[in-house]
Amino acid sequence: MTLTDNRHQAPPAVVATDLTKVYGQGDAVVHALRGVNVAFATGAFTAIMGPSGSGKSTLMHCLAGLDAATSGTVHVGDVELTALDDRRLTRLRRERIGFVFQSFNLLPTLTAEQNIRLPLEIASRQADQPLFDRVIDTVGLRNRLSHRPAELSGGQQQRVAVARALISKPQVIFADEPTGNLDSRSGAEILSFLRTSVRELGQTIVMVTHDPVAASYADRVVFLRDGELVTELATPTPQSVLDTLVKLEA
Amino acid sequence: MLRTALAGLRAHRLRLLLTALAILLGVGFIAGTFVLNDTVQAAFSQRVTADADKVDVAVLPRDAHAVLPARLLDRIRALDGVTDAQGLVRGPAPLLGRDGKTVGSLPTTALSVVRGPLDRTNVVSGTGPGTDDHAAVLDENTAKAQGFRIGDTITVLDHERGEHRFELVGLIDTGVDQMLAVTGALGFTPATTQRLTGAKGYREIDVAGDAPGLERAVAAAAGPGHVVKTGDELAADLARAAGVEARSFTLALLLFGIVAMMVAALVIYNTFNILVAQRTREMALLRCVGATRAQVFGSILLESAVVGALASALGLLAGYGLAALALTVLGVFDTPLPTDATASLTPATMAIGLAVGLLVTVGAAVLPARAATRVPPIAALRAQVEEPAFRTGLPRLIVSGLLLVAGLGTTAAGVLMFDPGQLSLVVVVAGGALTFLAVLILGPVLVKPLSAVVGRLPARLFGVPGRLAVENAARNPGRAATTTVALTIGVTLMTLISVVTASTRTTMTAQLDAQFPIDYLLAGQERDPVVPRAVAAELRRRPELSSVVQIREVRATVAGRRVDVGTYSGPITPAVASGSMTGFGPGQVALNESTARDLGARVGDSLSLQTAEAGRVALRVTALLDGSQSSLPPVTVAEGPFDRYFGAVPDTMVMVNAKDGVPPEQARKLVDAAAANYPVVQVTSSTEVRGEFDETLDMVLMIVTGLLGLAILISLLGIANTLSLSVHERTRESALLRALGLTRRQLRGMLSIEALVLGLIGALVGVVLGGVFGWAAMMAMLADAAYSLPVPQVVLFVLLSGLAGVLAAVLPARRAARASIVDSLATG
Repeated sequence: MTLTDNRHQAPPAVVATDLTKVYGQGDAVVHALRGVNVAFATGAFTAIMGPSGSGKSTLMHCLAGLDAATSGTVHVGDVELTALDDRRLTRLRRERIGFVFQSFNLLPTLTAEQNIRLPLEIASRQADQPLFDRVIDTVGLRNRLSHRPAELSGGQQQRVAVARALISKPQVIFADEPTGNLDSRSGAEILSFLRTSVRELGQTIVMVTHDPVAASYADRVVFLRDGELVTELATPTPQSVLDTLVKLEA
Repeated sequence: MLRTALAGLRAHRLRLLLTALAILLGVGFIAGTFVLNDTVQAAFSQRVTADADKVDVAVLPRDAHAVLPARLLDRIRALDGVTDAQGLVRGPAPLLGRDGKTVGSLPTTALSVVRGPLDRTNVVSGTGPGTDDHAAVLDENTAKAQGFRIGDTITVLDHERGEHRFELVGLIDTGVDQMLAVTGALGFTPATTQRLTGAKGYREIDVAGDAPGLERAVAAAAGPGHVVKTGDELAADLARAAGVEARSFTLALLLFGIVAMMVAALVIYNTFNILVAQRTREMALLRCVGATRAQVFGSILLESAVVGALASALGLLAGYGLAALALTVLGVFDTPLPTDATASLTPATMAIGLAVGLLVTVGAAVLPARAATRVPPIAALRAQVEEPAFRTGLPRLIVSGLLLVAGLGTTAAGVLMFDPGQLSLVVVVAGGALTFLAVLILGPVLVKPLSAVVGRLPARLFGVPGRLAVENAARNPGRAATTTVALTIGVTLMTLISVVTASTRTTMTAQLDAQFPIDYLLAGQERDPVVPRAVAAELRRRPELSSVVQIREVRATVAGRRVDVGTYSGPITPAVASGSMTGFGPGQVALNESTARDLGARVGDSLSLQTAEAGRVALRVTALLDGSQSSLPPVTVAEGPFDRYFGAVPDTMVMVNAKDGVPPEQARKLVDAAAANYPVVQVTSSTEVRGEFDETLDMVLMIVTGLLGLAILISLLGIANTLSLSVHERTRESALLRALGLTRRQLRGMLSIEALVLGLIGALVGVVLGGVFGWAAMMAMLADAAYSLPVPQVVLFVLLSGLAGVLAAVLPARRAARASIVDSLATG
């Protein structure tokens, strides 16, 4: 089954073709991904959902070049990730991909601002100052810039992580359960920022989540079960996502 | 709880391995030292016992320089139950080498070789002299050095410098006698020995016999003026005398062992501290399921005890190996030690090695174990281990400030208030210890600013990884401080030693230049007046030489004290401290400052001198001479009066300078020619003296540096350990950085720079401390010491420490770079 999205004219930001991932050997072999074909549209906010063990985190890791697929290909823009060695892969991550993790997003030794600028500095790139200001004001961190992570709340830390992902204008941002550790109000804030950045900055975002409410912020939700893509929803609501999940679990 | 502790051990095998290695090295060194000492001492007494078994009773003079009269030997021989009694003669008898000059800087010692059961000479090849008064035996080492073989004819000087020829019939081993090892030994028949040395009696009378109460009978015959020993007592005394040097050598080695153990203790303390910090949740979980504080404390101590015991046991084996190796090496270098003995591991050594290793390990783990008991059970539920926040704290500043003031004050007092010498040095050492303690306590406060200074260049050169590394280095100041202090100890001592050797070199060279501003020195072996005046006269005729100075000295009584009285002849400018040497002539005397102090004499005083040929004369002190700047005799009179007082005494030394532009070989040749006919006159060039002096200093520096290398090595293990534990703690952080685009190489580089910064901090503090206390030690040891900081050497230490730090980081960095990003993000 091939899933396509016809609402956007630009070529997709990320495309996975026949992606498989196998862990272990012999009797202990686990097929985490079994030939996944999926494309993520540029300028869209897509959520990946599925029950525990469905392979959604593995899919994201393979898409982002954090983990190597067993077979199949991943393209980010016009670059085939699966053909790159570690050094080129690292450079690609640095230049084209942004991350927001569930927890431990920030280096404890650096201030909020230093954390935000870190990917640019690693890549020896100059920050786009108007963009920086806009991002900072959007996430409301102006008066927290000189604080270290230990002095920030969980929600604030996640906002720093989002700002960091946005600041380098990556081709795609991967967010792995970005609201998993937050209370619902902070979570809603983060999700709003993510959606705003898609709407206003044209950012492409792929988010892994198990929370139907979080998924409902996305433009489109794709569902995984047992390492296979099974269905998808466009313009989801919490209820439609929940219904689909219940159907999948059955 | 026992099972938990053991499981903890198994789980942290790798991390504890480095700790164990630190203990192993320290214990190995200490145990090795003991094994070496035990082996040498045992071999000494074994040899001596074999010799002394032949002697039942020995008679010795009470005063070491006195001799036993011949009639005492007759009296003893006449005693009932004495089967044999022999008197031993011993005295200087210079051997002439193949160049016709006396051998070595001290005259060879001549020994009488007796016949019969009391013969204790160990002939290793050929035969003894027997009854042949024209036969001689020579010790192996001298024979080898001078190229003499059995059958050769050798020439020996008697006490009146008459030449005698002998046939070399055998080679002997001088055994454990340390003095013979230095002077070399010749053996002759008793009669010949007596003739050559001019000895007026015996140095020892050995008695053989088995009658009961023999010792008492001999003692009664000898009378109260002599010491009578049994053979066993004699053996014990000989062994003790022979072992003295080995024992002080052992003591010096042990000092290095203690330094190594101190460094190891710091490494262990740090490791356990980090292990406890990492296992906070584990400890909390234990507390949650009902473990008491005491049980948590006990489990950590038990863990350290097991590590300590295992490592110490291995350390004992390593020590045994080290000692065996050292014996082999010493054997190659011909040291006067019985190196052919097999190394022995005594129970005492094992006990000491195990006890030291165990105590240091457990002792170093006490504080970390106490920290572990403070973990509240609730910590098990916390998601993330908090970074320990470090606050400088006023008490720390006050305590370390006080210690610093006390340490520097004590050092200054040691330098300024005491005369150079042992006491002053002890005070300086105490000041050094206090200062070091202050630095140890202040360490965590210093780490941050120091890493900022040291890290400035790497941070600029290596961009983000560099900046992060410098941040990380000072992230846990307590840990960083302990890690670097371990290195600081080694670098401090190394810098101190190189400052002291460099300063000694500068000081001595300056003094040599002042005292010995000459190209060649002609003198006898024992600084006796043996250089015929004709030598100087001959040299004065040579146009190639610019100056020839003669110094003559005799032992005489001045104001009731025996001192060296002498004169000089030739162009020399005395270094006058007070008074004046102008118009120095009859009835006048110049004194060395220290001699003047001893005699209580000042310029203008009158002294009486007992002369050999002019009776008692009164002399007026006209000048005091600066002893460190002068080669004149302590009591100097003018040349003419000296000859009248003591007759035509030969020169004690002749100092010669060549003209500028005369090639050294040519000058040397003609100086040698002038001395050629006089076997006792040895020619030394100042370059040779300086060369020997430099060689000795270089040797000392090399050995001490090598021994301190052990402490450095252990501290590097500490850096590797701290770093690998930090890498482990920061697994997720590293993974995050990798996800954000840091390459493997950059990550490795980051950790290397962190290690570099740690190494440089440790080295810099060490260099400063070593430089300051090297100066203090110099001032405390020598008056008018010149200070010299061997800059290239010190820079080398700093660079090597940095490099070593980077090396220590290789493995931890590789592990960090290899880790999978996905797995690492998931941990914790």
